[in-house]
Amino acid sequence: MPDLNPSDDPVSEGTSRRKFLRTSAVLASGVAALTASLAPLRELADYTSVERFMQKHYKEMTPAQMQKVLDRIAREVEQQYGVRPKVKDYKPMDGAEFRYCLNLTRCIGCRKCVHACVAENNQSRNPEIQYIRVLKMPHGSLDMEKAEHYYSPAAVPEKGFFYMPVQCQQCENPPCVKVCPVKATWQEPDGITVIDYDWCIGCRYCEAACPYFARRFNWTKPSIPKDRLNPDMSYLGNRPRRQGVMEKCHFCIQRTRQGRYPACLEVCPAGARKFGNVLDPESEVSYILKNKRVFIQLKEELGTSPRFFYYFDV
Amino acid sequence: MSKKEGAGGLIAEIMRTMTARSSSGWVAGLLTMAFLILGAGFYFDLWGHPLRDPLIPLVDTNFISTATARMSAADLVRTGGDTSGLDCYTCHEKNKVLKLKFDAQGNVVVPKEHDDIVMAHGRHNRNNNCYNCHDETNLELLQTRDGRHLKIVESPALCGSCHGPTYRDWEAGVHGRTSGYWKRELGPIERKVCTSCHNPHSPPFPSRQPAPQPHLLHPAGNSSPS
Repeated sequence: MPDLNPSDDPVSEGTSRRKFLRTSAVLASGVAALTASLAPLRELADYTSVERFMQKHYKEMTPAQMQKVLDRIAREVEQQYGVRPKVKDYKPMDGAEFRYCLNLTRCIGCRKCVHACVAENNQSRNPEIQYIRVLKMPHGSLDMEKAEHYYSPAAVPEKGFFYMPVQCQQCENPPCVKVCPVKATWQEPDGITVIDYDWCIGCRYCEAACPYFARRFNWTKPSIPKDRLNPDMSYLGNRPRRQGVMEKCHFCIQRTRQGRYPACLEVCPAGARKFGNVLDPESEVSYILKNKRVFIQLKEELGTSPRFFYYFDV
Repeated sequence: MSKKEGAGGLIAEIMRTMTARSSSGWVAGLLTMAFLILGAGFYFDLWGHPLRDPLIPLVDTNFISTATARMSAADLVRTGGDTSGLDCYTCHEKNKVLKLKFDAQGNVVVPKEHDDIVMAHGRHNRNNNCYNCHDETNLELLQTRDGRHLKIVESPALCGSCHGPTYRDWEAGVHGRTSGYWKRELGPIERKVCTSCHNPHSPPFPSRQPAPQPHLLHPAGNSSPS
């Protein structure tokens, strides 16, 4: 047992130069390791700010509070990307409920919709986040087990296969909304299931609940090149997301709530995608649901009742 | 330990403790080093090369272009493109009916001046007759089977004279490309015509190169999924 009182023995065992250096080295490396392990805290400012932390739920915000939030988002985006965006909060239109119809006879599997969606909705390019998956399936079955989504031939369509793009089905009975423990995702009156990226805690319950593989999680900070950033943003739609939140297709809320078509529809070279207001009997989707061989809501046996229909030309 | 010795006293005390149990200092030091090396493993591989996520190239902007598969005559006129190909009478003589030539199988022989035309409209060679659609007395007009005469830019009515159900769908906005506004009160809908996508002489929709497949976050064994 060493003597704990140094005054008793001024030249105690601990004070040789070698021992001092050795112990200092151990302490210094310990401190370095501790600093390194705490390094992620330096990026804390990217995750949250006092303003965002104090922010109310989307449905409880007054228009003035919302304006303050939109200004903050614009400021943050400008800081991060050097582009001054136009951030708005578009409200649902009266008398509009959206439906999406996709013609499986026409789809050629070119994946243009996937990339137009990424460009419109400011998804991360690296790692890649994409809302639409195009499944290639052999003719004569609709067996998801036989579906392939990494196909890459020189030219599409390939003989003997058909292509089925899958994205958020905007269910009338959405399982993802039911499981959210913090009400960060909900269904809007026009049928769009939205996510408040500032309210999401990233638990990924919704991702597990969705039978359509529609929801994506930001594992890392999304990276979007400055020149590919779409500056027309909306709060519930395509504003850049943070690390640790969910995102998914929202029928291009920033376009469709201004009366425009979604980006995936406008880019489709085959005209396989149709979108519109089902409450308007003159709309394209009403015509399709009335006259075409509308053959599935995907996995309709689950009772999710998608607002996304697949049909064939007859 | 008295207060005035402060931190110096504390270090001396730690050093003394370590020396007393001489191995514990080494163990602490080695453990610290081991954790630092393990930590470095997140940033470098065994050969000291920095580890990076695989770089995913940005997608070619052609894949996000909303251009149609081809340019219709109407688009060509509207955008002020080169319309010399629509001006038949720079080469042909007016008021002279051209006789079509047929080979032994009854297929129409396309003259070499028009060798860009592939006659592949439908399965029967009786479909592939120039004067099914072109007016033999005025080459700049189109004619339907029921005798209507249409300008080149009015082609949808010509196509519709045979393809009734498709024409009906097209008029409802259901067949073919649209862009613009689903809500007509807020803005116009932009319609494309048949020949914006279909070549009238060879109408099946052309195949094309697909856009890149999804990239995995961590491709197994550095090989890209295929």
